[in-house]
Amino acid sequence: MKTRLVIIILFFAFSVPTFAAHPGGTVYADVNGLVCAFCAHALEKVFGREEAVESIDVNLDKKVVTIHFQQGQKLDDATITKLITDSGYAVRGLRHGD
Amino acid sequence: MRFLFVTLLGIGLILPSLVQARPVSYPGGWTFITMNDGTLNSAYVHYSPTAKISVGYTFEYWRDRELYLNAARVTHLVKRWNKPDSQANLYFKTGFGVAYSDAGELDGETSAAGFAGLAADWEDRRYFISYENRYTEAGGIADFFQQSARVGWAPYEGDFDDLHTWLMLQVKHSPESEGNFTLTPLVRFFKGVHLLEVGMSNRGEVLLNYIFRY
Repeated sequence: MKTRLVIIILFFAFSVPTFAAHPGGTVYADVNGLVCAFCAHALEKVFGREEAVESIDVNLDKKVVTIHFQQGQKLDDATITKLITDSGYAVRGLRHGD
Repeated sequence: MRFLFVTLLGIGLILPSLVQARPVSYPGGWTFITMNDGTLNSAYVHYSPTAKISVGYTFEYWRDRELYLNAARVTHLVKRWNKPDSQANLYFKTGFGVAYSDAGELDGETSAAGFAGLAADWEDRRYFISYENRYTEAGGIADFFQQSARVGWAPYEGDFDDLHTWLMLQVKHSPESEGNFTLTPLVRFFKGVHLLEVGMSNRGEVLLNYIFRY
């Protein structure tokens, strides 16, 4: 019983902050042309104007842009694709996270 | 020499380059660029209403020609190739304005002026190649063609927020000038929205370029 309780406490201790960090969910965009960090700051600027977006992460190794949303807010796939295209890149595909 | 000139020009017209690190930005983006080397001091501000075009103002001082140029400039992204591990771009640039000369008999002369050229580049995370050319016409004051090419290598692959470093070699060709080839090894650094290039040519002239994007 004690062990179960410790496991449950540990589960919540580690999982709650994870959910709280990006309560609105996440979309992963696989992007072509993502090779230059200086140029890729366009993505930060373009997505930064969107109220629904909490933050983005750019991974140059995996060529993935991770978009975190504000709680209760989202952008549809067409809008995400357009914003990435406007930033100068091509979208290979979108994957929806939490 | 003529064969080399024609070859370089031909390569420039069909191959992908970029000295100015993306002369077109994202919609609503502003960019400030200053470029300085043995022949030229320039300042250039541009705004991109779309991801395909930028409009701006450029001031140039061509030291060897004692020529000042103030011009409105438009750059058009003709084509971009976004591949999984690389990107290539082809740009057309043009500008119109006023030139002023300080040189000898032309001292005090002003004239309408314009320029046009192509720029192309290809890069992945380790290698970079670029080419650009430009023909400048300033009435009775000056008319000249210039082209340059670069190759670059990144000694490491930095993450998005890291300081990035590139080692580059630039060849500039000015057919009308004496000793018309200039070779400049340089280092390009960038972090965030700041890009700095520092180098020294085979003539001992310093190259110092800076770009800020906001």
